[in-house]
Amino acid sequence: MRAADWCLSSAGAAVVLATSSDEQHPAENMADGSSETFWTTTGMFPQEFIIGFPKCVKISKVTIQCYLVQTLRIERSISKDPVDFEECIEKDLQHTEGQLQMEEFPLPDFQATYLRFIIKSAFDHFVSVHRVMAEGTAENT
Amino acid sequence: MVKLAAKCILAGDPAVGKSALAQMFRNDGAHFQKNYTLTTGIELLVKAVSVPETSDSVEFFIFDSAGKDLFSEMLEKLWEQPNVLCLVYDVTNERSFNNCAKWLDKLRAQAVGVHIPGVLVGNKTDLVGRRVVEQKQAQEWAEKHGLEYCEMSVKEMKNFEAPFHILAKSFHQLYKEKVETFHSLA
Ligand SMILES: Nc1nc2c(ncn2[C@@H]2O[C@H](COP(=O)(O)OP(=O)(O)OP(=O)(O)O)[C@@H](O)[C@H]2O)c(=O)[nH]1
Ligand SMILES: [Mg+2]
Repeated sequence: MRAADWCLSSAGAAVVLATSSDEQHPAENMADGSSETFWTTTGMFPQEFIIGFPKCVKISKVTIQCYLVQTLRIERSISKDPVDFEECIEKDLQHTEGQLQMEEFPLPDFQATYLRFIIKSAFDHFVSVHRVMAEGTAENT
Repeated sequence: MVKLAAKCILAGDPAVGKSALAQMFRNDGAHFQKNYTLTTGIELLVKAVSVPETSDSVEFFIFDSAGKDLFSEMLEKLWEQPNVLCLVYDVTNERSFNNCAKWLDKLRAQAVGVHIPGVLVGNKTDLVGRRVVEQKQAQEWAEKHGLEYCEMSVKEMKNFEAPFHILAKSFHQLYKEKVETFHSLA
């Protein structure tokens, strides 16, 4: 088994929902493997996005690179469709002036077909999410 | 093309014309409510305006607040995470102008460390003979407190869209600045 980042469009992941859309900064930018491109929220909170995996994967660590995010909640689903989410973790992040927030969430191994990220509040009117990673191994099928 | 969404707090003393403004704006000037019905709690109205010289727009979620609730704690809950402020006073009512400081303090306490674009609006300019607050005085106060300024008469349907156009422009500007910041991070 090899460790991998499942939140890459090149690995078959896709952002299936995002509550904000600016065509200059689309949600796909979170799954393109680059920290330079980003998705922006365009208004009131909460805001959320859902990333879908091509199959059920095992995850042990989730990482997010973002800016101005205050309260973040991560949920997972093991359904075929993006429904029946259950909470993995909720955390208040630190404000890092002029620097990306790099938040690692080591989690007990869990399975997921979808990950949902809910940005409940922020340090400003808008936030950016530059990259999301979910490290783990492929489930044997 | 982007559609921004802004929580717009509409505040000011009782009977200055906040609800009249919100209704008029939403209905594109179709109806002026002559009889006074005081607002209790908060009324929510949604309306989008486009930002001049762009293909972008701002959708306002207008929280029309009750003037009698200046000192109510309930407001604090309803005003959480505001984006922009539309502060109205009545140009024939000095007290409503003096109370703007209190309204502004209350709003700013909701968003410590975050810049909230705001506009001070003098309403009822149609009542020329009864005017007691001069434009110059109000404009200076607004400037001193980092607010834009405009005057209107909802009754005569004059300038009632101006506050929202001003706010849309400011909010859009904020967004563009933030995106620049996001670019500089990576
Ligand atoms: N002459 C004149 N009267 C106005 C104008 N705008 C509103 N009014 C009147 O002022 C009264 C109060 O208006 P509202 O819009 O209900 O006041 P409000 O600020 O919402 O008051 P609260 O809900 O109690 O906070 C009504 O009788 C309106 O018809 C205006 O431009 N000129
Ligand atoms: Mg009212």
